[in-house]
Amino acid sequence: MREVYIIGAGMTQFGKHPAKSLRSLGLEACLNALRDASVKPKEIQAGYCGNALAPALQGETGVGQNVFWEVGISGIPIVNMENACASGSTALREGWMAVAGGFHDMVIIAGVEKTVMPKGTMLNVGGGELETQLGDVFPGYFSLIAQKHMEKYGTTREQLAKVSVKNHFNGTLNPYAQFQKLLTIEEVLNSPMIADPLTLYSCCPNSDGAAALILCSREKTRNINGRPVRIAASVLTTGTYDNQRDITGWEVEQRAAQTAYQMASLGPEDMDVVEVHDAFTISEIVHYEGLGLCPPGEGGRLIDEGATELSGRIPVNPSGGLLSKGHPVGASGVAQVVEIVWQLRGEAGKRQLTNPRIGLAQIMGGNKEGDTRACTVHILIKD
Amino acid sequence: MDQSWELVQEGLFDYPLADRQRPALLANRCNKCGKTFFPKRNLCPDCFEDGNLEDILLDKRGIIYASTVVHVTSPVGIKAPYAYGYVEIPKNQVRIFALFTGSNPLSFIPGQEVELLVETVRENNRGQKIIGYKFKLIS
Repeated sequence: MREVYIIGAGMTQFGKHPAKSLRSLGLEACLNALRDASVKPKEIQAGYCGNALAPALQGETGVGQNVFWEVGISGIPIVNMENACASGSTALREGWMAVAGGFHDMVIIAGVEKTVMPKGTMLNVGGGELETQLGDVFPGYFSLIAQKHMEKYGTTREQLAKVSVKNHFNGTLNPYAQFQKLLTIEEVLNSPMIADPLTLYSCCPNSDGAAALILCSREKTRNINGRPVRIAASVLTTGTYDNQRDITGWEVEQRAAQTAYQMASLGPEDMDVVEVHDAFTISEIVHYEGLGLCPPGEGGRLIDEGATELSGRIPVNPSGGLLSKGHPVGASGVAQVVEIVWQLRGEAGKRQLTNPRIGLAQIMGGNKEGDTRACTVHILIKD
Repeated sequence: MDQSWELVQEGLFDYPLADRQRPALLANRCNKCGKTFFPKRNLCPDCFEDGNLEDILLDKRGIIYASTVVHVTSPVGIKAPYAYGYVEIPKNQVRIFALFTGSNPLSFIPGQEVELLVETVRENNRGQKIIGYKFKLIS
């Protein structure tokens, strides 16, 4: 297996872009990544594009071919990836495999999505699932997890709210974030109840946006005047749908994390910066535990201690996370890695951490029978 | 003319019920590993073709494992507030997703005993009742 490097990273601002199409958002992100890498479109040998909802929301399929053609990339293998919220990160893993396996020397990864809907609408996805037909909604599923976590470990509503407060603070330091607004614990707790115990500000917004990465082999990095970041681990797992499991943790995530740490010969204590899938406040708490940043049940204490703030022992979601940066579903997994690349290169502006060298990005996608369909973990190193 | 109702999904329960037939959820069980499946599966995912699946009826009594109240109307049209969660069926060692029904959606908490009902979940845009299953508190 060859070593794979990220030599270009770019994204659009996340938020409401009613005047921009999927193609124009994708174009902007891809151009930013290509310019960042000083690479020409004709040098790209394959393209992988993550998108989850365009067939349902825009009636558009083949988004990858559409987006890459806007940049002038065609004629080469182009693959569309759909793995719900993990679509973008799954595209990254496919690209990584192609370069690691020696099939291609330079590839482009994109994630692009438009999910902003009229005010108050919830995304009507998963209509083919029995749970959805019986009224299951994403905040509801995560509220069940929150209830069990509170019951088993004594996690409090205030601890959940602190996740949103932290990530909104970080978002105010990130010009790419959808929300540029500080929140207090009281504002999170007193915002409208969506699914008890999760309030409006405990849930990430619907967003439009795109992100892109350029990957290449070690050999190719020699010709490039860049700041390569190495992909030390890339893992994708799928749920086992054990319907009697303890829902306070995701085995699918623990398995992905352990495999990734093994692949990188590192442990959670080595991570300097982490981006996790904070679609809901409770998710971030559970991910602290699933990734081994703290023992099971101590996620609430970790946020209380401030350990995951920008100045903490292990900063989590310096970008603002999905809660503040926004969640264009298929783009989020790529954007997390863009943030890690910027942090490792020292280019993260006002939210820059002090000399981080190793970073991790985690995202999951899709509910099935109370479990998760897909989970990816990537570990990046600035050698 | 359309009939006045539709099932939320085929094969979950018998409907309409025959005289004196009590509602029950239709499941199946692998006779090799003993695992129970609701909804029914075509194949045991652990035993593959070594196991045979036999049809069973789930016990109508369950215990709430987790519950929530949703305060926004669901995309499929179930009016807020409504309650749902997971119900353990101890007799069959299976946990199922279910809506809760009763006068107060806030009254469902883990550990409470509940009982199966088959009733309308919502109406579709043609005015047909969508028939599904729910659980109510055993008083």
